[in-house]
Amino acid sequence: MARFHSLQVTEIRRDTRDAVVVTLTPQDTDHDLFDFTQGQYLTFRRSFDGEELRRSYSICSGRHEGVLRVGIKRVDGGCFSTWANEALRVGDTLEAMPPMGAFFTPIEPDAAKNYLAFAGGSGITPILSIIKTTLASEPRSHFTLVYANRQIGSIMFREELDDLKNIYLGRLAILHVLESESQDIDLFAGRVDAEKCAALFKHWIDIEAANTAFICGPEPMMLAVAATLRGHGMRDEQIKFELFASSQPGRARLKVESIAAAERGTACEATVTLDGATRIFNMPKQGQTLLEAALENRMDAPFACRAGVCSTCRAKVLEGETEMEVNHALEDYEVRQGYVLTCQCYPLSDRIVVSYDQ
Amino acid sequence: MSETMPIEEYLQQGGVLTSPANAPPRYRGELLRLMASFVDSELAGAAGFADTINDAPGIKERIAAARIVLEKTDHAGRVLDVMGTFGADVERYAVHHAWDARLSRGADIGAARQGGDMRLSVFHYPLEGWVDAVVLNVLMGMATAIQLRESTRVSYQPLAEVFRDILPREAHHTALGVEALQRIVESEDTRRTALESIGYWRPRVAASFGLAGSARYEMLARLGLRHTPNEALLAEWQTALVEQLAALNLN
Repeated sequence: MARFHSLQVTEIRRDTRDAVVVTLTPQDTDHDLFDFTQGQYLTFRRSFDGEELRRSYSICSGRHEGVLRVGIKRVDGGCFSTWANEALRVGDTLEAMPPMGAFFTPIEPDAAKNYLAFAGGSGITPILSIIKTTLASEPRSHFTLVYANRQIGSIMFREELDDLKNIYLGRLAILHVLESESQDIDLFAGRVDAEKCAALFKHWIDIEAANTAFICGPEPMMLAVAATLRGHGMRDEQIKFELFASSQPGRARLKVESIAAAERGTACEATVTLDGATRIFNMPKQGQTLLEAALENRMDAPFACRAGVCSTCRAKVLEGETEMEVNHALEDYEVRQGYVLTCQCYPLSDRIVVSYDQ
Repeated sequence: MSETMPIEEYLQQGGVLTSPANAPPRYRGELLRLMASFVDSELAGAAGFADTINDAPGIKERIAAARIVLEKTDHAGRVLDVMGTFGADVERYAVHHAWDARLSRGADIGAARQGGDMRLSVFHYPLEGWVDAVVLNVLMGMATAIQLRESTRVSYQPLAEVFRDILPREAHHTALGVEALQRIVESEDTRRTALESIGYWRPRVAASFGLAGSARYEMLARLGLRHTPNEALLAEWQTALVEQLAALNLN
């Protein structure tokens, strides 16, 4: 299982009002571990009010640049991103897992390819890494970027993108689409939806010549772009997605206080929520796992290995005390938050409340 | 561009997820289950086929059988690595079942899973010699090609990519089986043995497509984890099989 390593913050640059670009330096012994591929992300952890939060942010530097750099845009109510934008300082230490993710295609120095990229807001972060790496390492390849933002002031990496256009003259085309600012050409105003894509592909972008398309942005934009690309004959394996972190819960939640243990009954009343429906049933404290009890009560609980190794049957104990016989799949921080492997879980208290939906 | 939509709606409209952090709980459970089913089937299939190496009648056949064992185990490993990104203990998982364990030839388990072992039910039946192994390899190989093609469309991109890599190699395993069958039908004796094996395996491979009108299918389709109903995939396999068997003079 991947481990966390310390990274030192060596530079913080404010990019827009809501975004910072953070340069990180691994410890001497960890340099190989953090040798990333373009388009990958780092997962950070930090404790807020006693609860550990993990957040992933994409690397924005190119492979050839020799630095590790991430872009962090502040999300409303987002604990980690707000902290990174307001309180993080040069010299601080961050804990991160080695780079992960497969939002890239292999670099082929001799190739002459045409790449398309569609970025929405902070979705530019991994795409910037891909663009820089590709243009530097595949001298005969071309890139076209469609970059959607609300307004000019919120465009991340605006200057850096302009510089890249000048460095790689004729090999990088950028189309900015701004949602709430009028433009000289109507095509470049509004949202990137199906209609906009169709218009762009009609006049500005030659999809038939494109080898690969990268898409990173909010869900509706990803759907619209992908549907239009497929409609123009692009195959699934030519389209690379990176769904950015909007689906991650932003705020650290307070842990539910568990009821005092040491209860003596032999049976337990279990309240179990699955797919939004809650069922209450009695189960023995010994001889039957929580998963078995849920299945016996005709709940369609997910499971696979029944041996505590695959984590398919994971659920969260919201009230009451339980114990696991074996746990090879949950990490300590998940266990602290109340997660259990239900195939290995037995109640200790007379009443437990469990949810498969969290 | 802060406009977003609920992840369930995004999936229903054909959206793609790209990391464990994107996956809602039910999605996570079903995805892991789907991966466990593939991994268990590949490991059980490879374990069963390992003995077949010693039944192979020639060097070419030995190599083909050994290659199938090697590559199916490798395919299991690749999907297991994706399970590992969700927290599964990859090392322990690979050894937590006796993958070579089989029920009796006459056991009748339909399409039911056995205990915590998620292998397709067809992999619980034992093989009986070289011809029998080749027949299962061809019948199940053709089914795998159809089931895997369906899997290359799963809404979890890292898994879809693994399946796209695996698909041509699995198709090659079936091609090796068809080659072996061509030699088997040259003798009337072994041709008759093959016909008996086809009679035995055909309904069992058919059961691996799952039930028609499955309620689980509806849920998986909403999550973008399935796209074609069991009965349609089964019908496709039946048509392809009739053609293949006719070409081999095994109808």
